[in-house]
Amino acid sequence: MFLRLFPCLALLALGLAACNRHAPESTAKSGSPTIALVVKTLNNPFFIDMQAGAEAETKRLGVNLLVQAAEREIDVERQMQIVENLIERHVDALCIAPSGSREIVPVIVKANRAGIPVLIIDTRADEKALAAAGGRIAAFIGSDNYDGGRIAGAFVAERLGGSGAVAVLEGIPGHETGDARLRGFREAIAAAPGIHIVASQPANWERDQGFNVCQNILQAHPDVKALFACSDLMALGAVEAIAAAHRTGQILVVGFDALPEARAAIKQGTMAATVAQFPQKMGELAVANAVKALKGEAIPASIPVPIQLVK
Amino acid sequence: MTLKPFLIRYARQFGTLFGLVLLCIALWIATPYFLTSSNLLNIMEQSAINALIAVGMTFIIISGGIDLSVGSLVAFTGVVLAGFLHDGWPWPLAVACGLVAGLGCGIVNGLLVTLGRLPPFIATLGTMSVARGAALLYTDGRPSSGFDSGFRSLATGQVLHIPAPAVIMLVVYVLGHFVLTRTKFGRYTYAIGGNEEAALLSGVRVRLYKTLIYGAGGLLSALAAVLLTARLNSAQPIAGINYELDAIAATVIGGTSLLGGQGTMGGTLVGALIMGVLRNGLNLLGVSSFVQQVVIGAVIILAVLVDVLFKPKKK
Repeated sequence: MFLRLFPCLALLALGLAACNRHAPESTAKSGSPTIALVVKTLNNPFFIDMQAGAEAETKRLGVNLLVQAAEREIDVERQMQIVENLIERHVDALCIAPSGSREIVPVIVKANRAGIPVLIIDTRADEKALAAAGGRIAAFIGSDNYDGGRIAGAFVAERLGGSGAVAVLEGIPGHETGDARLRGFREAIAAAPGIHIVASQPANWERDQGFNVCQNILQAHPDVKALFACSDLMALGAVEAIAAAHRTGQILVVGFDALPEARAAIKQGTMAATVAQFPQKMGELAVANAVKALKGEAIPASIPVPIQLVK
Repeated sequence: MTLKPFLIRYARQFGTLFGLVLLCIALWIATPYFLTSSNLLNIMEQSAINALIAVGMTFIIISGGIDLSVGSLVAFTGVVLAGFLHDGWPWPLAVACGLVAGLGCGIVNGLLVTLGRLPPFIATLGTMSVARGAALLYTDGRPSSGFDSGFRSLATGQVLHIPAPAVIMLVVYVLGHFVLTRTKFGRYTYAIGGNEEAALLSGVRVRLYKTLIYGAGGLLSALAAVLLTARLNSAQPIAGINYELDAIAATVIGGTSLLGGQGTMGGTLVGALIMGVLRNGLNLLGVSSFVQQVVIGAVIILAVLVDVLFKPKKK
């Protein structure tokens, strides 16, 4: 029994050792600091771009980079485990894109206790919760999602010319990024008296749900003139639903994130606009400022990354 | 007891333990950060939530059932507990009410299986969705956070330098092992899973005990929810997605047969720790999250494969 089990486990052990050999840290200089980048997930192009920016910057500055992420974007507990493990790994600085604004706070406190500087990217850590827990961050690097929502809302209001029904696809409820985009969008729409949001439903950041929810909205509100999705993935799902209803071109679709696929859709005319953030820039700035902080240089508490409408 | 039957009886369990030890040795060689007392305690703390759910899952699977609703129950009891806490109830009372809520949900699962005669897979698939929806309705989809430090000490506190979640986990495992091996409840769990009809014919009140077994599953999910809520200082209606799969994996890696009638509490603990050690080790090594999923899946397959291929055949 034991003898039979042994080869299997030995193989596994060898596999692990092999994993280690391919880890980026062992190929880089051992004397230079290691910066950890923990994003929400690596199956979203947004965070892959962020990773690419961070990688380019680490290469330029000659430091080591470890990139980790949970399998699912919303898995706050798994993200907490990853950060705890990286604290045990004695990384020199942590750059985190939090899966949950409040849920990230306990582990920021743990990093503080271990003396590891924390830079927050993209999604803010809840300031009240952070203050209550006595945690502190070195900097926040990101775009103002509220502003992005406002720009999108203003664009929709302008293109509709003062009247019309608008539908909204929300992200996961309670998610700070999506909530901020929604607040901005709603505010801009509220400023245009003839325009009303007739439906606002969560499609949980997912493309297929964007399709289904949009299809349902079109059934219930055939008069919808414009649709705002809090992410391009959901907007692209909605574009398919609109095409299935043979209404392409009749409904103004505005997304968020400026994914390459969304830019292509805008060129084709199936989407009207999207809001561009610059995740690559965020990754670069995170690494650059983490290195500065490690050298003892002062860095600003808030580092804005521009946001713009692509149409 | 002579040595040989003893060995046969425990070979599977020790095989898993042996695997855990080997895994630890491999990681110790691969990275200097693994074998430190603070990291080992860190692993125990991180494994506690899955390990607690897996205790209930072990009872349920030994009895020949399955419970897919545990992850949703973690979310549901978590937000109910958060509601009580935010209403200003003293935290021990709020925790007790959360546990009772979990027990109640588990008993509903049990009644659907026993009185409703639904296959456990279907019954708990349904309650998985109901509990998730109820959690979202109750909170309007929003996480609810910010609790007092007394409650949070359940996750952040220490007993003799051991993190509280690890202590709770170990205590529950000792209790679980005792109940499974030394009480009527435990013996009936094996009997029902081994041959339900024979158990019924020999006078076991199968419906009652099955209902209680699912109740225990709900109770332990609620306990996991207490730890999760205290740990994150937040209760999320979308918490616990896929936790049922992690708990089933820990149970199966630990040698419990999905056909029922076989399994040990110690095996499940080792199974949960193997998953915790793997995830921790792969993080320490800086392995990409995609590779991690492949490795964890491979370990589950390997463990069950060993079980199927090398188990002494019953005549």
